[in-house]
Amino acid sequence: MNAPMEAQRFGSGQSVRRIEDPALVTGQGRYTDDETLPGQTHLVFLRSPYAHADITGIDVTDALAMPGVVAIYTGADLAAAGVRPMAGVPFPRPDGQPGATALRRALADGRVRFVGEAVAVVVADSIDQARAAADAVVVDYNQLPAVVNAFDAMAPGAPALCDAAPDNISAGMSHGDAAATAAAFAAAAYTVSVDVDNQRLAPSPIEPRAVSARVPASGPDAGRLVVRLSSQMPTAVRGGLVDAIPGLTPEAVRVLVGDVGGGFGMKTGIYPEDIAIGFAAWTLKRPVKWRADRVDEFLGAVHGRDVVSRAELALDADGRVLALRVKGYANVGAYGTATGIAIQVLIGPWVSTSVYDIPLVDEQFIAVLTNTTPTGAYRGAGRPEAIYLTERLMDAAARKLRMDPAELRRRNMIGPEQMPYKNAMGQVYDSGAFAQILDQGLALADWTGFAARRAASEAAGKLRGRGIATFLEWTGGNALTETVTVNVTADGYIELGSATQAMGQGIATSYAQLAVDVFGVPIDRIRVLQGDTDRANGFGSAGSRSLFTGGSAVSVASKKTVEDAKTLAAEALEAPAADIEYLAGRFNVAGTDLGIGLFELAARQVGGRITATDGATAGGPTWPNGCHVCEVEIDPATGEVAVVAYASVNDIGRVVSPTIVEGQIEGGAVQGIGQALCERVAYDRETGQLQSASFMDYALPHADGFLGFKTAFDTSIPCKTNTLGVKGVGELGTIGATPAVVNAVIDALDHAGLGAAAEAIQMPVTAERVWRALHLKQFDPSPYQA
Amino acid sequence: MIPLKFEVNGHAVATEVAPSTLLIDLLRGPLALTGTHAGCDTAQCGACTVLVNGASVKSCSLLALQAQGAKVTTVEGLAQGDALHPLQQAFMDCHGLQCGFCTPGMLMSSACLLATNPRPSEAEIQHALEGNLCRCTGYVKIVAAVQQASVAMAGAHA
Repeated sequence: MNAPMEAQRFGSGQSVRRIEDPALVTGQGRYTDDETLPGQTHLVFLRSPYAHADITGIDVTDALAMPGVVAIYTGADLAAAGVRPMAGVPFPRPDGQPGATALRRALADGRVRFVGEAVAVVVADSIDQARAAADAVVVDYNQLPAVVNAFDAMAPGAPALCDAAPDNISAGMSHGDAAATAAAFAAAAYTVSVDVDNQRLAPSPIEPRAVSARVPASGPDAGRLVVRLSSQMPTAVRGGLVDAIPGLTPEAVRVLVGDVGGGFGMKTGIYPEDIAIGFAAWTLKRPVKWRADRVDEFLGAVHGRDVVSRAELALDADGRVLALRVKGYANVGAYGTATGIAIQVLIGPWVSTSVYDIPLVDEQFIAVLTNTTPTGAYRGAGRPEAIYLTERLMDAAARKLRMDPAELRRRNMIGPEQMPYKNAMGQVYDSGAFAQILDQGLALADWTGFAARRAASEAAGKLRGRGIATFLEWTGGNALTETVTVNVTADGYIELGSATQAMGQGIATSYAQLAVDVFGVPIDRIRVLQGDTDRANGFGSAGSRSLFTGGSAVSVASKKTVEDAKTLAAEALEAPAADIEYLAGRFNVAGTDLGIGLFELAARQVGGRITATDGATAGGPTWPNGCHVCEVEIDPATGEVAVVAYASVNDIGRVVSPTIVEGQIEGGAVQGIGQALCERVAYDRETGQLQSASFMDYALPHADGFLGFKTAFDTSIPCKTNTLGVKGVGELGTIGATPAVVNAVIDALDHAGLGAAAEAIQMPVTAERVWRALHLKQFDPSPYQA
Repeated sequence: MIPLKFEVNGHAVATEVAPSTLLIDLLRGPLALTGTHAGCDTAQCGACTVLVNGASVKSCSLLALQAQGAKVTTVEGLAQGDALHPLQQAFMDCHGLQCGFCTPGMLMSSACLLATNPRPSEAEIQHALEGNLCRCTGYVKIVAAVQQASVAMAGAHA
């Protein structure tokens, strides 16, 4: 059952052109907003201009009378209709009390808790009419004091976000052995400490969210709520709609997803907007469509990161790490959610000891409510925060011990002979050869040639710094099972139906390559069908899980299809099943010239197709890892930082689509560089106004300034817990880049004479911060105030 | 409503628009050319970039009436029949796109660049694409794609 020709050209391990691309480069993509529904109405959200206020009245009389207005709903209307609030916090507070949050509703009822919280929707025949009517809705607010910073929120007398938590502490979690860690610190030859603000970020996929909802009066979906949106998790959206809207059952809801213009975690789960739109369409029985403006996204889509930590490392005289201690305060925004809190208090800590053999940890995390947009998943989701701390500490330790930062890392690495390795958080790594990756990373980056490059930069009037990050991460979201349905059709296609979700990562191409491995047909015979809860349901695509779960399922379901079809071929060819061989789209009777084509066989079946379903369950998460080395140049006159070299060697196990994973690493790295150098969600401390609500104020990386990327993979270390041997790749670049870049900046500042004082610099490392450090020896005060 | 006559992708268009109608809304709505995308509404992201008389323009920042009498090219008009534009081919060859949402704007800005500067340097390409945001690729392979297209187009003209 192999097919040398096609597999050699299009199978896994080959660089192929993506099957997604012909439509996307010709303007034929179908994103949600590209679809116009017959008779469609337009919906806009009216959002709170205040960070914290009681709604004392809403008058919609004038707005309702305006031309084209179909309906206006307020939070009170939804509550009266029985629309239920969204899920709360499943983690306890540090004092053992249940996790605290105000209940979030699709539209705020009674009180608003952050700028941009939706208070009403207007549905009208045209978008302009809807906007005009929204302007005419009169909302009376009684403004309340607001708080936007975790430490301000915990201070005595701070305004409380919910009655159950006057201290605004939503939840907390402690890990490790505090007493043993304290003893290790007391006995250590060296200790180092960093205070770090992992600043709040806006994920910012370029496609804003869009949702359309309808209740067809006739046809196969008659009487059902059909929602089409830009999402990574169609099934979760269906579940969220059913949970919230009275009278809906899962069978009564169909969620469709077309092309998705980037996700990065931000398009996971249900949004309040989805519920409000679903409610409007379900109630009006008319098609309703919403496309977010960019300001809707800055205000209403989840933010990422936002945790302030003090992290400490204890080392012996030889540079062996004895213990890691972290205390972190996460600002999770106005409403606590399972995802937003788990990311900070659990998922980050799981990887905090990283590739190092660190026997002891003491980690304490507190999730704090503030009058800001709720946080949620953003590429890396907890791992970038944790790895940033660890890699900053490794550099701080190397500086203190006057040791090469690469050598200090090597000395502490877990050896391949220690696999499977259980870390101090109880997480088990199945595979990894971290020193091998380090060696290759140093070679790719020409680590030892740095002095000459620094001298050349200095001769040109620039400062040069070099930073390294060696690290791993956990992928899969602990959702380890996927099922795939294969249809071989009479018209010559092999359809792969999966509940995982494309969002630009190229998963359809990777799945197609895995199917080519089995079927041996040209890749243009493969079609990947996703984004329809009537076809498949599951966790969706998040946490770099799709290939190792869904791809494994593609492989086993394809093999099952061929095996099942052998029985059908045996009948068609009137030969014993044991004599049937499959090769490259054809079944043959062994030793004869009798045979039948796969698609011809499908044409002969009832319904004109051969169908098989099978699934795969991975034995655990995957632990991709890498060595990323960055060099920066700083212009001392302006403080501007330029990334001038970025070399990475990555272990993502076996590689299915080499070009695609290169793109994942590079694109991910530039997002990580964005956190290091330019991105920051900013709120006014007094009023709680969002100050970075457009791309004019929120600095996304632009095309200039990314040169010298070298990206390589070591494919010799397959993952042992899935049949493909692959490891997740989607988040690796983002996790490695941020510490590699900041370590490089600190190295440059240290070399310029600031020494270890340079470790006080905070992200984003803007030109202004660098200039102040260089010329005034001035740094922001520590963000850590506990 | 005001009469508007212009040319889109080689086809004459005669219609009427409100004075406030933006070019992007005319293209995406009545003309059903949904390859031009709206990503930011403040002329920062460039997903809405089209060519107006050969110059790259952000169609979210142009009134439809400003295109009166003009020749407008959208991403749907880039290919010549079944033959892809060298930029479209190069973006596919070089993995210059992931989610594809910014891609139409990237292609149109690049087309404008190559029309005025057929053999741009890496830095010139980066500079020309400064007004187009991509969140997926990190720009590395986009720049490579534009370089490949410039070589292919130079070869075709040689």
